[in-house]
Amino acid sequence: MLRTVLLLILASSTAFAAPEFDLAPLKKWFGRQNEIRSVTAEFTQTRSLRALRDPVATPGRLWFSVPGSVRWELGSPPKTIALRKGANALIITPGKKRAERHNASAASPSAGGGALAMLRFPLAKDFADFQRQFEVLAITPSGERCRVEVAPRDPQARKFLSRIVIEFNQVNGHLLSFEMVTRDGSKMRQEFSNVRTNVKIPATTFDYDLSGYDVKDAKE
Amino acid sequence: MLKSRLLRGLAVAVLLIGFCIAGLSRISFDVQILKLLPTHLPQVQGLAIFLKHFALADELMITLETADADAADAAATSLAEHLRAKPELVRRAVERAPWESGGGPIAELLAFALLNQPPEKVTELTAHLSAETIGAALREAAEKLGESIEPRELAMLSYDPLGLTASLDLARFAAAGGQSEFASADGAFRVIYIQTAGRFSSYRDNITWLNAIKAECARWNAKHGVTLGFTGEPAFVADIAGTMQWDMQSSGMVTLLVIAVIFWLCYRRAWPLLALQGMLVVTFAISLACAGLFLRELTVIGVGFASILIGLTVDYGYLVFQKARGHTGTVRELQRECFQNVSLTAGTTASAFFALNLSSLPGLAQLGNLVGIGVIVGATVMLGIFAPIALRLQRQAARPSVMERFFANPRAIAAGGWATLALVAALLAILAVKGPPSLDSSIDSLRPRVSGAYDALGQVYAKLTDNRDLLSLIVIGGSEDEVLGRLRTAEAKIEAARARGEVRTAAVALPLWPDTANQRANLPALAALAAEKPRLREAILAAGFTEEAFGLADAVLTQWAAWRSASVPIWPENDASRWVLRRVAHRSPGKFVALGMVQPVPGQEDALASALTAEGTFLVSWKQLGRELRRVIPQEFGRLIAALGAIILSVLWIAFRSLRDVLLFAATTTLVFFVLLGAMSLLGLTWNLFNLAAILLLLGTGTDYSILVLLAIRRNGGDTAAMHRALGIVIFLCAFSAAAGFGTITWANHIGLATLGETCALGLAIDALISVFLLPVAWRWLHRRDAAPRGDEKAGEPSGPPAL
Repeated sequence: MLRTVLLLILASSTAFAAPEFDLAPLKKWFGRQNEIRSVTAEFTQTRSLRALRDPVATPGRLWFSVPGSVRWELGSPPKTIALRKGANALIITPGKKRAERHNASAASPSAGGGALAMLRFPLAKDFADFQRQFEVLAITPSGERCRVEVAPRDPQARKFLSRIVIEFNQVNGHLLSFEMVTRDGSKMRQEFSNVRTNVKIPATTFDYDLSGYDVKDAKE
Repeated sequence: MLKSRLLRGLAVAVLLIGFCIAGLSRISFDVQILKLLPTHLPQVQGLAIFLKHFALADELMITLETADADAADAAATSLAEHLRAKPELVRRAVERAPWESGGGPIAELLAFALLNQPPEKVTELTAHLSAETIGAALREAAEKLGESIEPRELAMLSYDPLGLTASLDLARFAAAGGQSEFASADGAFRVIYIQTAGRFSSYRDNITWLNAIKAECARWNAKHGVTLGFTGEPAFVADIAGTMQWDMQSSGMVTLLVIAVIFWLCYRRAWPLLALQGMLVVTFAISLACAGLFLRELTVIGVGFASILIGLTVDYGYLVFQKARGHTGTVRELQRECFQNVSLTAGTTASAFFALNLSSLPGLAQLGNLVGIGVIVGATVMLGIFAPIALRLQRQAARPSVMERFFANPRAIAAGGWATLALVAALLAILAVKGPPSLDSSIDSLRPRVSGAYDALGQVYAKLTDNRDLLSLIVIGGSEDEVLGRLRTAEAKIEAARARGEVRTAAVALPLWPDTANQRANLPALAALAAEKPRLREAILAAGFTEEAFGLADAVLTQWAAWRSASVPIWPENDASRWVLRRVAHRSPGKFVALGMVQPVPGQEDALASALTAEGTFLVSWKQLGRELRRVIPQEFGRLIAALGAIILSVLWIAFRSLRDVLLFAATTTLVFFVLLGAMSLLGLTWNLFNLAAILLLLGTGTDYSILVLLAIRRNGGDTAAMHRALGIVIFLCAFSAAAGFGTITWANHIGLATLGETCALGLAIDALISVFLLPVAWRWLHRRDAAPRGDEKAGEPSGPPAL
């Protein structure tokens, strides 16, 4: 489940189809999704953009609870917060006291889905659905780690993304990192730490007090 | 004496041949369907401007479809490269948007859009980039790049950290877009835009060029095996003009053949048949030469005239030949005897066709003029040339043919009457049950039936974007400023309409239209900013950005510097700008046109079009044209039909001086019309813009049969059998030749022309059957109590030879 959420964060989706790769580690990883009811994690997002001389590293946190509640924060204190509860989603910029309301069910998993795509859930119903959406470029198991490189099949997403690299722990199923490489060579990598599954998350985590905020409906 | 007549004949022949060569060599085809429509309608005017300036006569669209996006992308690149290697055919082949290869090519357009802005926005921009504020602005941009989760914002900040584009209302640029004009959403369907190496001097050049391109594509595709399609203006011209030529040749030839078969069935005479066919060819050649000299360009409707003309003109030949069969006098006497009937029928037919000029449909008016001229030429040829030949050939007597024996047999006539009555009853019953044919006011009747270009365009609509529900906002003027003023007025009206809930989205060309005043005010400030390029570059690098982040700003600043001493209004000129502007703006000396799009709320199209239409401003679409035609054309035809009907009835009153006969004629014509409606319902035909004219033509042509029958009955003292012997075979020949003439255009590629042909063919056949078999019975019944039929010079001589 955590894996799916993080894929959502990166506005994309994956599938693994190439028959020449041993897909067993991946299938096993997917098989564990049903056991997960909630996830909390910390992460560091590192953006290596062609426009910037040095990479920019930003800490962040993530909460997820079934059936479809997500809270995603970037920055400490958070500069951007994405919230989803059912079909309602909010993109909040606390520093500017601004928020944008979205219809989460309208989000696209492709890059064209914009900021909201990260909150789409479930991204793929199952492993087969994943395979339909992604092409596997490489799978490299190394000890407990497994590195999977994929490319989206969606032509719109392919216009922006050249590949996505996922690393996970084969033993406990935890996602270790997630990297998105754009067509211009820029990279956005997230390294996860302190991942905890099936912990109790207060329902208020997925709420936000918007008093004093300028709230607008997003142009879909 | 003989020598002088020969010389005179030879001189006339030489003159005619010279005339025909001069006229025929000038014939060409006009494939513009708007040439067929009323030019006073705003929709037609607006669409004509659209087609002239934005249809892109030199741009072919090649569609390409494969199994997946990667293969389609690779194939599009490969085919475009293959075609670019043929500079003798292709000036440019574009398979992806110019800006997909980087921001450089589009920088000029961006510089232009910024230059075009209101001066206060430029003041804000220069303040934002001043030495005092730029550092903070760039720090904020770098921070956002680390935090933003909005892909669009990330992309903009990466390539425009100075925020040059922030002041532009990008939504206005993108309002009409959304879908790529190069690839479908799944990427498996692609379009390549090909610009021709040169301009076409005629439709034949166009066809030759397209065939060469298709051959190149086929050569390339031998190794790739993708599905290709060809559309766009050059493909339409090739499709339509090619089929027009074939339609005219094939329908004319088949009509001649059908006439030959009918003549042979009736007379079994080879030499008169050959002579008659020769006369038809002469008539056709002279008429077509007239068209070449006076009209020059035939429309898709005009090409139908060949077969119609042959089918109508042969009537006079039949009449002359039939009259010649029993004639014992001189040629002049024969000509005199035939003159009344020929001039009366040719006169009414030509009048009906010339009356099409009263319609505001130029295509029909051209058809009317061609056939009207042709009918007069045909009548002259038949009386002047065919009469002497027919008389000479007639002196070799022949036994009566099957058809002659049929019309001389009262039992056969009675059987024909019962059969016609049954047919009429059946068709009227069908009309009662199924109702009359509906009116199809769509513009489908304007299009060709078979066209690869239309099919490929359908694919483009299905796979890329279907803009057929959008209205095109066309603004035309004599200068940039005049168009700008009209664009502003249109935009204000659109905003008002949006507030009333009539508009969903709109994209006016204003952001891409030069604003002379703004440009004049902004240019010094932006040129000064361009002079500070080194400072701006240093600031960007100092804020942690790379040289790459300065690329777009560098190009924009360079462009402003280049425009420093340019005279306003400034237009962007590079390839990428021209590519964008080709569908937005057109300029030629003294003429400036802007194109925008409005997506109306369904049902609000009429209100919007009427609110926005003003001098130099049109809101048009093909669907809207259909709606306008639905309002205008039926009313117009109603008026024309009423006027022609009144004229015919008046003439008949003068000729017959009998209210009963005039009413009988009116009743016959009405019955023909209702039976025609039944036949159309049975065959699933509908009325459209073109076959409505069939009513007019039937009034002018089909009614000849009932007029001839009534005249012949009266001349034969009420002896209907004598009328049948004298006229039956002539009407049979005339009706079925004319029906064959109209019938052969039912396979014309132009749907409107084809439906006109089938409706007229049906109407003529029905008119002939009712006139020959039912009208005499009705006449006898109406005159049953008369002691002796009146108004007849042959009354009292019923046993004499039948009179025509």
